[in-house]
Amino acid sequence: MGVAAAATLDYDAELMLRVKEGDGASFGVLLEKHRTSVIHFIYRLVAEQAVAEELAQEVFLRVYRSRSSYEATAKFRTWLFRIATHMALNWLRDQKHERGQEHLDEGTADLPARQISDRRPSVEQKLVREAELREVRQAVAALPAKQRAAVLMHKYEEMEYTQIAKVLGCSDSAVKSLLFRAYETLRARLAHMEAT
Amino acid sequence: MNCPIEDRHPEILVAYAAGELEREIARALERHLADCAACRPVVAGQTAVWKALDTWEAPPVSPDFDRRLYRRIEEGARLSWWERFTRPFRPMPLRQALPLTASAGLLLMAALLVYHPGPIAPVAAQREAVRANQVENALDDLDLLRQLGTADSTEGGHPDAL
Repeated sequence: MGVAAAATLDYDAELMLRVKEGDGASFGVLLEKHRTSVIHFIYRLVAEQAVAEELAQEVFLRVYRSRSSYEATAKFRTWLFRIATHMALNWLRDQKHERGQEHLDEGTADLPARQISDRRPSVEQKLVREAELREVRQAVAALPAKQRAAVLMHKYEEMEYTQIAKVLGCSDSAVKSLLFRAYETLRARLAHMEAT
Repeated sequence: MNCPIEDRHPEILVAYAAGELEREIARALERHLADCAACRPVVAGQTAVWKALDTWEAPPVSPDFDRRLYRRIEEGARLSWWERFTRPFRPMPLRQALPLTASAGLLLMAALLVYHPGPIAPVAAQREAVRANQVENALDDLDLLRQLGTADSTEGGHPDAL
Protein backbone atom coordinates (compact mmCIF):
# COMPACT_ATOMS: atom_id res chain seq x y z
CA MET A 1 0.00 0.00 0.00
CA GLY A 2 1.47 3.35 -1.00
CA VAL A 3 1.48 6.64 0.85
CA ALA A 4 -1.55 7.94 -1.03
CA ALA A 5 -3.61 4.86 -0.26
CA ALA A 6 -2.63 4.95 3.40
CA ALA A 7 -3.78 8.55 3.70
CA THR A 8 -7.34 7.35 3.42
CA LEU A 9 -6.68 4.99 6.32
CA ASP A 10 -5.15 7.42 8.78
CA TYR A 11 -2.52 10.13 8.89
CA ASP A 12 -0.32 8.23 11.34
CA ALA A 13 -0.15 5.26 8.99
CA GLU A 14 0.91 7.64 6.26
CA LEU A 15 3.67 8.99 8.51
CA MET A 16 4.79 5.45 9.26
CA LEU A 17 4.98 4.69 5.55
CA ARG A 18 7.21 7.74 5.21
CA VAL A 19 9.41 6.35 7.98
CA LYS A 20 9.55 3.16 5.95
CA GLU A 21 10.83 5.20 3.03
CA GLY A 22 13.61 6.60 5.20
CA ASP A 23 12.04 9.79 6.56
CA GLY A 24 13.33 9.99 10.14
CA ALA A 25 11.46 13.23 10.82
CA SER A 26 8.13 11.42 10.43
CA PHE A 27 9.17 9.02 13.18
CA GLY A 28 9.80 12.06 15.36
CA VAL A 29 6.28 13.31 14.67
CA LEU A 30 4.79 9.94 15.59
CA LEU A 31 6.89 9.80 18.76
CA GLU A 32 5.84 13.30 19.78
CA LYS A 33 2.19 12.47 19.16
CA HIS A 34 1.98 9.13 20.95
CA ARG A 35 4.82 9.13 23.49
CA THR A 36 2.84 10.36 26.48
CA SER A 37 -0.27 8.26 25.92
CA VAL A 38 1.80 5.08 25.47
CA ILE A 39 3.85 5.73 28.62
CA HIS A 40 0.78 6.64 30.68
CA PHE A 41 -1.10 3.60 29.43
CA ILE A 42 1.76 1.27 30.33
CA TYR A 43 2.28 3.07 33.65
CA ARG A 44 -1.32 2.44 34.68
CA LEU A 45 -0.93 -1.20 33.67
CA VAL A 46 2.36 -1.94 35.42
CA ALA A 47 2.15 0.71 38.18
CA GLU A 48 5.85 1.61 38.00
CA GLN A 49 7.01 4.71 36.19
CA ALA A 50 10.58 3.56 35.47
CA VAL A 51 9.33 0.25 34.09
CA ALA A 52 6.67 2.04 32.05
CA GLU A 53 9.31 4.24 30.39
CA GLU A 54 11.61 1.30 29.75
CA LEU A 55 8.79 -0.70 28.15
CA ALA A 56 7.69 2.34 26.14
CA GLN A 57 11.25 2.64 24.83
CA GLU A 58 11.02 -0.96 23.67
CA VAL A 59 7.67 -0.25 22.04
CA PHE A 60 9.01 2.66 19.99
CA LEU A 61 12.21 0.76 19.18
CA ARG A 62 10.09 -2.09 17.88
CA VAL A 63 8.05 0.33 15.80
CA TYR A 64 11.22 1.82 14.34
CA ARG A 65 12.90 -1.51 13.68
CA SER A 66 9.87 -2.96 11.95
CA ARG A 67 9.51 0.04 9.64
CA SER A 68 10.77 -1.89 6.63
CA SER A 69 8.06 -4.53 6.98
CA TYR A 70 5.28 -2.12 7.98
CA GLU A 71 2.01 -2.46 6.11
CA ALA A 72 -0.77 0.04 6.75
CA THR A 73 -3.46 -2.59 7.17
CA ALA A 74 -4.88 -1.15 10.39
CA LYS A 75 -4.91 2.13 12.26
CA PHE A 76 -1.40 3.01 13.38
CA ARG A 77 -2.60 3.71 16.92
CA THR A 78 -4.21 0.28 17.14
CA TRP A 79 -0.96 -1.33 16.03
CA LEU A 80 1.04 0.78 18.48
CA PHE A 81 -1.19 -0.08 21.42
CA ARG A 82 -1.18 -3.73 20.44
CA ILE A 83 2.60 -3.72 20.81
CA ALA A 84 2.40 -1.74 24.07
CA THR A 85 -0.27 -4.03 25.54
CA HIS A 86 1.65 -7.12 24.51
CA MET A 87 4.86 -5.88 26.13
CA ALA A 88 3.16 -4.72 29.32
CA LEU A 89 1.13 -7.91 29.76
CA ASN A 90 4.27 -10.00 29.17
CA TRP A 91 6.11 -7.99 31.79
CA LEU A 92 3.24 -8.41 34.25
CA ARG A 93 3.17 -12.15 33.59
CA ASP A 94 6.91 -12.42 34.23
CA GLN A 95 6.68 -10.39 37.42
CA LYS A 96 3.63 -12.14 38.77
CA HIS A 97 5.46 -15.10 40.24
CA GLU A 98 8.31 -13.05 41.58
CA ARG A 99 6.68 -10.11 43.19
CA GLY A 100 2.97 -10.70 43.51
CA GLN A 101 1.16 -7.53 44.24
CA GLU A 102 3.77 -5.82 46.41
CA HIS A 103 4.54 -3.18 43.82
CA LEU A 104 1.10 -1.67 44.18
CA ASP A 105 2.10 0.30 47.20
CA GLU A 106 5.56 1.20 45.99
CA GLY A 107 4.58 3.48 43.15
CA THR A 108 3.01 6.12 45.32
CA ALA A 109 6.25 8.09 45.18
CA ASP A 110 5.91 8.23 41.37
CA LEU A 111 2.74 10.22 41.59
CA PRO A 112 2.89 13.89 40.81
CA ALA A 113 1.69 16.37 43.33
CA ARG A 114 -2.00 16.59 42.54
CA GLN A 115 -3.30 19.88 41.29
CA ILE A 116 -6.16 20.50 43.60
CA SER A 117 -8.37 23.55 43.60
CA ASP A 118 -7.23 27.04 44.49
CA ARG A 119 -8.38 26.54 48.01
CA ARG A 120 -5.52 24.77 49.70
CA PRO A 121 -6.58 21.42 51.08
CA SER A 122 -6.08 20.67 54.69
CA VAL A 123 -3.67 17.95 55.73
CA GLU A 124 -6.65 15.70 56.46
CA GLN A 125 -8.15 16.29 53.02
CA LYS A 126 -4.80 15.55 51.44
CA LEU A 127 -4.43 12.32 53.36
CA VAL A 128 -7.96 11.23 52.47
CA ARG A 129 -7.39 11.93 48.79
CA GLU A 130 -4.13 10.05 48.77
CA ALA A 131 -5.79 7.10 50.46
CA GLU A 132 -8.62 7.19 47.92
CA LEU A 133 -6.19 7.36 45.05
CA ARG A 134 -4.31 4.36 46.42
CA GLU A 135 -7.61 2.49 46.60
CA VAL A 136 -8.37 3.32 42.99
CA ARG A 137 -4.95 2.11 41.90
CA GLN A 138 -5.29 -1.08 43.87
CA ALA A 139 -8.80 -1.73 42.58
CA VAL A 140 -7.63 -1.34 38.97
CA ALA A 141 -4.50 -3.41 39.59
CA ALA A 142 -6.60 -6.21 41.07
CA LEU A 143 -8.54 -6.62 37.82
CA PRO A 144 -7.48 -9.45 35.50
CA ALA A 145 -4.83 -8.14 33.11
CA LYS A 146 -7.03 -8.12 30.01
CA GLN A 147 -9.89 -6.35 31.80
CA ARG A 148 -7.41 -3.84 33.16
CA ALA A 149 -6.00 -3.13 29.70
CA ALA A 150 -9.54 -2.75 28.31
CA VAL A 151 -10.56 -0.30 31.06
CA LEU A 152 -7.41 1.78 30.61
CA MET A 153 -7.88 2.03 26.85
CA HIS A 154 -11.58 2.82 27.25
CA LYS A 155 -11.33 5.31 30.10
CA TYR A 156 -8.03 7.10 29.51
CA GLU A 157 -7.34 6.62 25.81
CA GLU A 158 -11.00 7.02 24.85
CA MET A 159 -10.78 4.16 22.39
CA GLU A 160 -13.88 2.70 20.81
CA TYR A 161 -14.88 -0.91 21.40
CA THR A 162 -13.78 -1.90 17.90
CA GLN A 163 -10.32 -0.45 18.38
CA ILE A 164 -9.91 -2.09 21.81
CA ALA A 165 -11.05 -5.37 20.28
CA LYS A 166 -8.36 -5.13 17.62
CA VAL A 167 -5.69 -4.35 20.20
CA LEU A 168 -6.71 -7.27 22.41
CA GLY A 169 -7.42 -9.61 19.51
CA CYS A 170 -11.02 -10.36 20.43
CA SER A 171 -14.53 -9.49 19.25
CA ASP A 172 -16.41 -6.27 19.96
CA SER A 173 -18.90 -8.16 22.09
CA ALA A 174 -16.07 -9.72 24.09
CA VAL A 175 -14.75 -6.22 24.79
CA LYS A 176 -18.20 -5.05 25.91
CA SER A 177 -18.37 -8.00 28.23
CA LEU A 178 -14.83 -7.42 29.54
CA LEU A 179 -15.55 -3.77 30.21
CA PHE A 180 -18.89 -4.41 31.87
CA ARG A 181 -17.39 -7.01 34.21
CA ALA A 182 -14.45 -4.75 34.98
CA TYR A 183 -16.59 -1.70 35.77
CA GLU A 184 -18.93 -3.76 37.91
CA THR A 185 -15.97 -5.15 39.85
CA LEU A 186 -14.66 -1.62 40.31
CA ARG A 187 -18.09 -0.48 41.46
CA ALA A 188 -18.14 -3.19 44.11
CA ARG A 189 -14.64 -2.32 45.28
CA LEU A 190 -15.03 1.43 45.21
CA ALA A 191 -18.68 1.65 46.25
CA HIS A 192 -17.80 3.27 49.56
CA MET A 193 -16.28 6.22 47.71
CA GLU A 194 -19.69 7.00 46.23
CA ALA A 195 -20.74 9.10 49.18
CA THR A 196 -17.58 11.21 49.26
CA MET B 1 -38.21 -5.18 42.37
CA ASN B 2 -37.39 -6.13 38.80
CA CYS B 3 -36.22 -3.76 36.13
CA PRO B 4 -35.57 -5.04 32.61
CA ILE B 5 -32.66 -2.62 32.15
CA GLU B 6 -30.94 -3.46 35.42
CA ASP B 7 -31.72 -7.16 34.98
CA ARG B 8 -30.90 -7.75 31.33
CA HIS B 9 -29.02 -4.71 30.00
CA PRO B 10 -26.97 -3.24 32.84
CA GLU B 11 -24.30 -2.29 30.29
CA ILE B 12 -26.63 0.58 29.31
CA LEU B 13 -26.21 1.97 32.81
CA VAL B 14 -22.43 1.64 32.58
CA ALA B 15 -22.45 3.38 29.20
CA TYR B 16 -24.63 6.16 30.64
CA ALA B 17 -22.17 6.75 33.48
CA ALA B 18 -19.33 6.82 30.93
CA GLY B 19 -21.24 9.43 28.90
CA GLU B 20 -21.41 7.19 25.86
CA LEU B 21 -25.15 7.20 25.24
CA GLU B 22 -26.70 9.37 22.58
CA ARG B 23 -28.46 12.40 23.97
CA GLU B 24 -31.98 11.14 23.26
CA ILE B 25 -31.32 7.77 24.86
CA ALA B 26 -29.60 9.39 27.81
CA ARG B 27 -32.63 11.64 28.42
CA ALA B 28 -34.98 8.68 28.24
CA LEU B 29 -32.83 6.83 30.73
CA GLU B 30 -32.79 9.81 33.08
CA ARG B 31 -36.60 9.78 33.08
CA HIS B 32 -36.47 6.07 33.85
CA LEU B 33 -33.94 6.61 36.66
CA ALA B 34 -36.27 9.06 38.37
CA ASP B 35 -38.70 6.21 38.97
CA CYS B 36 -36.44 3.14 39.16
CA ALA B 37 -34.91 2.30 42.51
CA ALA B 38 -33.02 -0.67 41.00
CA CYS B 39 -31.10 1.31 38.40
CA ARG B 40 -30.31 4.39 40.47
CA PRO B 41 -27.67 2.80 42.75
CA VAL B 42 -26.00 1.16 39.75
CA VAL B 43 -25.70 4.47 37.96
CA ALA B 44 -24.58 6.23 41.13
CA GLY B 45 -21.92 3.57 41.69
CA GLN B 46 -20.69 3.68 38.11
CA THR B 47 -20.56 7.47 38.15
CA ALA B 48 -18.47 7.25 41.33
CA VAL B 49 -16.11 4.77 39.66
CA TRP B 50 -15.75 7.06 36.67
CA LYS B 51 -14.97 10.04 38.92
CA ALA B 52 -12.55 8.00 41.00
CA LEU B 53 -10.67 6.94 37.90
CA ASP B 54 -10.45 10.61 36.89
CA THR B 55 -8.34 11.30 39.95
CA TRP B 56 -5.61 8.90 38.83
CA GLU B 57 -3.08 11.06 37.09
CA ALA B 58 0.03 9.56 35.56
CA PRO B 59 3.39 11.13 36.37
CA PRO B 60 5.10 13.32 33.76
CA VAL B 61 7.40 11.67 31.24
CA SER B 62 11.14 11.98 31.82
CA PRO B 63 12.58 14.88 29.81
CA ASP B 64 15.35 12.69 28.41
CA PHE B 65 13.00 9.97 27.11
CA ASP B 66 13.49 10.90 23.44
CA ARG B 67 17.27 11.32 23.82
CA ARG B 68 17.55 7.82 25.34
CA LEU B 69 15.41 6.37 22.60
CA TYR B 70 17.40 7.96 19.76
CA ARG B 71 20.64 6.84 21.39
CA ARG B 72 19.37 3.27 21.40
CA ILE B 73 18.30 3.58 17.79
CA GLU B 74 21.79 4.82 16.86
CA GLU B 75 23.43 2.05 18.87
CA GLY B 76 21.24 -0.45 17.08
CA ALA B 77 22.31 0.93 13.71
CA ARG B 78 26.00 0.49 14.64
CA LEU B 79 25.65 -3.14 15.75
CA SER B 80 27.53 -5.80 13.81
CA TRP B 81 25.62 -8.66 12.22
CA TRP B 82 26.74 -10.97 15.05
CA GLU B 83 25.46 -8.59 17.74
CA ARG B 84 22.16 -8.26 15.93
CA PHE B 85 21.91 -12.03 15.72
CA THR B 86 22.65 -12.60 19.42
CA ARG B 87 20.74 -9.60 20.76
CA PRO B 88 17.40 -11.41 21.24
CA PHE B 89 19.13 -13.96 23.47
CA ARG B 90 21.16 -11.56 25.58
CA PRO B 91 18.52 -10.08 27.88
CA MET B 92 17.18 -13.55 28.60
CA PRO B 93 17.20 -13.91 32.37
CA LEU B 94 18.64 -17.00 34.02
CA ARG B 95 15.22 -18.26 35.04
CA GLN B 96 14.22 -18.35 31.35
CA ALA B 97 17.55 -19.53 30.00
CA LEU B 98 17.96 -22.38 32.49
CA PRO B 99 14.83 -24.36 31.53
CA LEU B 100 15.61 -23.79 27.85
CA THR B 101 19.16 -25.10 28.27
CA ALA B 102 17.96 -28.04 30.35
CA SER B 103 15.32 -28.90 27.72
CA ALA B 104 17.90 -28.71 24.94
CA GLY B 105 20.24 -30.99 26.95
CA LEU B 106 17.48 -33.51 27.55
CA LEU B 107 16.55 -33.48 23.88
CA LEU B 108 20.18 -34.08 22.93
CA MET B 109 20.45 -36.98 25.37
CA ALA B 110 17.21 -38.48 24.12
CA ALA B 111 18.43 -38.16 20.55
CA LEU B 112 21.68 -39.92 21.43
CA LEU B 113 19.78 -42.73 23.18
CA VAL B 114 17.33 -43.18 20.34
CA TYR B 115 19.97 -42.98 17.64
CA HIS B 116 21.45 -46.41 16.76
CA PRO B 117 24.38 -46.41 14.39
CA GLY B 118 23.00 -49.72 12.94
CA PRO B 119 24.90 -52.78 11.79
CA ILE B 120 27.38 -50.85 9.67
CA ALA B 121 30.11 -50.67 12.28
CA PRO B 122 30.07 -54.35 13.33
CA VAL B 123 30.10 -55.52 9.69
CA ALA B 124 33.02 -53.27 8.97
CA ALA B 125 34.79 -54.63 12.03
CA GLN B 126 34.08 -58.18 10.88
CA ARG B 127 35.42 -57.40 7.46
CA GLU B 128 38.58 -56.03 9.01
CA ALA B 129 38.89 -59.16 11.12
CA VAL B 130 38.39 -61.41 8.06
CA ARG B 131 40.97 -59.48 6.07
CA ALA B 132 43.47 -59.76 8.91
CA ASN B 133 42.91 -63.52 9.07
CA GLN B 134 43.34 -63.84 5.32
CA VAL B 135 46.59 -61.88 5.37
CA GLU B 136 47.83 -63.96 8.28
CA ASN B 137 46.99 -67.16 6.46
CA ALA B 138 48.65 -65.96 3.30
CA LEU B 139 51.81 -65.09 5.22
CA ASP B 140 51.77 -68.55 6.84
CA ASP B 141 51.42 -70.11 3.40
CA LEU B 142 54.35 -68.06 2.09
CA ASP B 143 56.48 -69.12 5.04
CA LEU B 144 55.60 -72.71 4.40
CA LEU B 145 56.42 -72.38 0.72
CA ARG B 146 59.69 -70.67 1.60
CA GLN B 147 60.58 -73.47 4.01
CA LEU B 148 59.70 -76.07 1.43
CA GLY B 149 61.73 -74.23 -1.19
CA THR B 150 64.70 -74.13 1.17
CA ALA B 151 64.32 -77.82 1.93
CA ASP B 152 64.11 -78.63 -1.79
CA SER B 153 67.26 -76.71 -2.56
CA THR B 154 69.17 -78.31 0.31
CA GLU B 155 67.87 -81.78 -0.54
CA GLY B 156 68.20 -81.24 -4.33
CA GLY B 157 64.64 -82.39 -4.99
CA HIS B 158 62.53 -81.06 -7.89
CA PRO B 159 59.58 -78.87 -7.00
CA ASP B 160 57.36 -81.10 -9.19
CA ALA B 161 58.05 -83.96 -6.83
CA LEU B 162 55.72 -82.30 -4.33
